[in-house]
Amino acid sequence: MISMNKVSKHYGSFQVLADCTTQVHKGEVIVVCGPSGSGKSTLIKCVNGLEPFQSGEIIVNGVSVGDPKTNLSKLRSTVGMVFQNFELFPHMSIIDNLGIAQVKVLGRTQDQAREKGFKLLDRVGLRAQAEKYPGQLSGGQQQRVAIARALAMDPICMLFDEPTSALDPEMVNEVLDVMTELAQEGMTMMCVTHEMGFAKRVASRVIFMDQGRIVEDDSKDAFFDHARSERAQQFLAKILHH
Amino acid sequence: MHEFDWSSIPNALPFLWDGMKISLEITVTAVIFGIVWGTLLALMRLSPVKPLSWFAAGYVNLFRAIPLVMVLLWFFLIVPHLLESIFGFPRGSDMRLSSAIAGFALFEAAYYSEIIRAGIQSVPKGQMGAASALGMTYGQAMRLVVLPQAFRNMVPLLLTQGIILFQDTSLVYVSALADFFGAAYKVGDRDGRLVELLLFAGAVYFVICFTASRIVRHYQNKLKVA
Repeated sequence: MISMNKVSKHYGSFQVLADCTTQVHKGEVIVVCGPSGSGKSTLIKCVNGLEPFQSGEIIVNGVSVGDPKTNLSKLRSTVGMVFQNFELFPHMSIIDNLGIAQVKVLGRTQDQAREKGFKLLDRVGLRAQAEKYPGQLSGGQQQRVAIARALAMDPICMLFDEPTSALDPEMVNEVLDVMTELAQEGMTMMCVTHEMGFAKRVASRVIFMDQGRIVEDDSKDAFFDHARSERAQQFLAKILHH
Repeated sequence: MHEFDWSSIPNALPFLWDGMKISLEITVTAVIFGIVWGTLLALMRLSPVKPLSWFAAGYVNLFRAIPLVMVLLWFFLIVPHLLESIFGFPRGSDMRLSSAIAGFALFEAAYYSEIIRAGIQSVPKGQMGAASALGMTYGQAMRLVVLPQAFRNMVPLLLTQGIILFQDTSLVYVSALADFFGAAYKVGDRDGRLVELLLFAGAVYFVICFTASRIVRHYQNKLKVA
């Protein structure tokens, strides 16, 4: 479904990504972790072309992301993305947040979009908030809306960029629950996250990054039980102690 | 000691009102065109296409470095002749109003574009990212997501600029156009009551602008709460 081959990116002389190669198959849940500044977020933003890269190749569902001839907007409409800061549109009601791209990008009617929107709000438990504005919701609720908004486009896979990092601790689980459910339903997912509990529950594989390189790319059991690299061992030792 | 004599004002009110209508017409048209053209300039300035960006930057810097009264004079003196020769308008047709409006609109667009550029930049970058990630094109993301938020933040500044523009319309007296200020001047000159008429005109400008900025302030406070 997603295939990366020797993807590299640099800002001037600073190497952000170096020769990143990996595959994500249909139905897999990949957790990407690593210290801050290791290039995790950049890596998944390259998947839908939000971040350009200088060399290498990314193929999503048979379409090359880096090819200048690719219609990036069209590709992006098939790949859902959830951001650290939710990025709901503050000037629209919740239901319009879910509807706008369905109408303007997919060409659905207003009624179809609302119906789909209500169904997904039901699913994330926020039907009652449909007519409110994003500013009236808690962080956890906003992030659930953001997930529903991405799902409203019927994506073939979902990208999560640290979806729980900006949340108060007591709101982390409501978002992880929605993500876990998605994973169990067979959604293909790439998640940048530090939530190792989530990784242990649902990940098919874990990718560990450091200084722009993919250092480990292994099944979750192999990763948690005997990470090969010293860097990954240190990282795990630091975050699993608590 | 000057003896005030206000008696010429009541009779001149209809004439002054005609002048006020011209002032308002110039203000409203120039604000609308200024905002539309200013938005386009701001988008060009922020565009990754370098020639567009250079053009917009050059335009803005040029107009911000020239006194308004000179722009108005050029438009008054040169543009009508140009139009006459290009479009074959009858010689001597009165284009003072249209050239004044054009001059204001082009001049104010430079200021509006800077306000609008700042407004666009005040919208968090992630909004553009989120809109793009949903498959919107750059144009859709701008139109549906970024600009509505930018304009919401900018309304007070745009209105304030509109008030300044209203005051600046008095400069059209250089083209002998009877806007409110020009009308007051003419009446005062005719009746030998220039001081009274100019005091009166000043009071009217003050009341209108002060009221308008109060309204803007009120709106601004409401916006802060929301």
